[in-house]
Amino acid sequence: MEKISRYLLVFIAILTLAVILPKLYWMAFEKPVRKPFILYSCINDDFMIHRISEKTWEDTKGNPYTREEYEQKLPMMFLKQLLSSGTMPDSIKGIALDMRDITGAKSFFRLKVNEIDAPAPALYPLFESQSGRAMLDLPDDFFRITWRIDFIDAATNKVLEEKSQMFSGALYQKGFSFPAKKISGLATPRKSIDEGYLIMDSKDQLFHLKMIKGFPYVKKIDVPEDLKFRHISCVDFKNKDFYAYLFSDKNEIYILTQDDYKLIKWPIDGFEASNCDLKIWGDLFNYTVIIEAEDHIKTIALSPDYQVVNTYTENWKLKEEQTEGKIFASLFPAQVSMTSDNSKFIRFYFSLSKRLNWIFFNLLLFAIHFIWLYRRKAKFRNHLADLGMVAVCGIFGFIAIHFFQNKFFE
Amino acid sequence: MMWKSIVYKEWLKIRWFFVGYTLLGILGIGYLFLTVKHSFAFNGGKNTWNIVLFLGHQFFSPLKYVPLAGGLTIAIAQYFPETVNKRIKLTFHLPLGENKILLMMHAFGSISLLLSFLIFFGLFTGFSLIYFPVQMVADSLISIFPWFLAGFSAYFLVALIVLEPAWKFRLFYSLVGGFFLTIYYTSAVTAAYGPANTGLFVLTAFLSIALLFSAHRFRKGEM
Repeated sequence: MEKISRYLLVFIAILTLAVILPKLYWMAFEKPVRKPFILYSCINDDFMIHRISEKTWEDTKGNPYTREEYEQKLPMMFLKQLLSSGTMPDSIKGIALDMRDITGAKSFFRLKVNEIDAPAPALYPLFESQSGRAMLDLPDDFFRITWRIDFIDAATNKVLEEKSQMFSGALYQKGFSFPAKKISGLATPRKSIDEGYLIMDSKDQLFHLKMIKGFPYVKKIDVPEDLKFRHISCVDFKNKDFYAYLFSDKNEIYILTQDDYKLIKWPIDGFEASNCDLKIWGDLFNYTVIIEAEDHIKTIALSPDYQVVNTYTENWKLKEEQTEGKIFASLFPAQVSMTSDNSKFIRFYFSLSKRLNWIFFNLLLFAIHFIWLYRRKAKFRNHLADLGMVAVCGIFGFIAIHFFQNKFFE
Repeated sequence: MMWKSIVYKEWLKIRWFFVGYTLLGILGIGYLFLTVKHSFAFNGGKNTWNIVLFLGHQFFSPLKYVPLAGGLTIAIAQYFPETVNKRIKLTFHLPLGENKILLMMHAFGSISLLLSFLIFFGLFTGFSLIYFPVQMVADSLISIFPWFLAGFSAYFLVALIVLEPAWKFRLFYSLVGGFFLTIYYTSAVTAAYGPANTGLFVLTAFLSIALLFSAHRFRKGEM
């Protein structure tokens, strides 16, 4: 029993050290990656790059710009600045600029990679879409979808039976298969109008649900049979061109057009929902799609009718390939982390060091432990498991077996 | 019959700590739900739900270190007196297996702790269900579960450290134990611990016999 208790303690020590030591190492030595800020210019039809830490502004050919010149190349982004300095052009590409058109076409969307693999809220508020009020009110009840849709009054924590039956019936009539796999919407009163929720049922069918004058509005959306969505982000843009960005399980990006419910696939390559952040800037002339991965940034400019007009990619070294990363791989065979940049869930995220340099350090520690045992005239066959742990777990194993020492045979 | 005497001896050591801790814990849960009641009264139910669901408010966060405090209290109350003048040696002279006696003592402490935790868990769940629907309560329970496991781990680790005869190793165990406990306390959104809880439960179970290691060293007279 004592031996078992020791091995369990050694295991826990190895795990703890594999969490703590790499974390401390990176806290001390990690250098931040300063990602460039890139936008597509409708003036010179090229990407404009702002390197924030270097305070430089350039295009993709490396031509330098002053801050003012840079801003003039991006009039849709720096509208206020150009207006105040009197350098805003009257027209671009023969199109006369109207303030209402410019602000109406402006949009920004951001999807962080950890928003996809995250706990979903337990309940959602269903707003009244046509209240006749200028501002939206947070409703008194919230809904959940289990074997039916339940509306629960927040003040009393009681199910509103009549409303629940009415909405469940409406969903059922349109062919909704309970429960829901995914519920997407903007669960905040701080939006221009309410467009309810896009809900994926248990058979991956897509529905649009909202409440109009207290009654359910349910629309089943035609989705091609082989198309499955991994994530849906509803948006509230001024131009009301589309309800949402939808991300398929094949990493394709779709939009769902407003009112006519058409799914349009954007010609975007290189987006991986499991490890990329996504930013999309929209304006009168272009959409700039920015895909940020761990070791590169890819920007794609789309025309207003969603055709690719230009792309630009920039790479940098992964932290594993930098000097600090190489030293890390020489010291630690692996790392365990409870958190991940790619998820909001807590897990035991285990990652093996990408290089094998740690083998030498492990062997050195193995030799030190071997000599230590030899000097104490220990019988090696009683210490084979410890030696094995040092060989495999390196520094973690070495510290663990010396903290919880094997003295059963002395 | 021997086990009855051992249970009685352990009960004498921890009774006031156990009762005091459990009462304080119940008061703590009472306070927690006073804040919820206050929030319902002043902000309204819908706004309270909204901040819990969408603005990351964790109404259960005052509970965070309550189980940890319990684990430390019971462990110190139970094992510290045994180290004064090395009293535990007397226990080892009883006509029962040494490990068996230790595990009996340990099981008694663990069950006492479990009893307190079950009361807290039950009260928390019951009160929560008054104010929140079952899905929200379930998400909260996923978040508080590792804190209760941390309470057990702290109990097991303190037993290990207190019974260790050499100060140097006490320090080593405290370092590993202290850092190990941080694994239960990673700050995260509500219900984020879902995928980790089973693994944490297994690790906590691993620690339950940790004291046998230092007790063995104690008997051997390691310095």
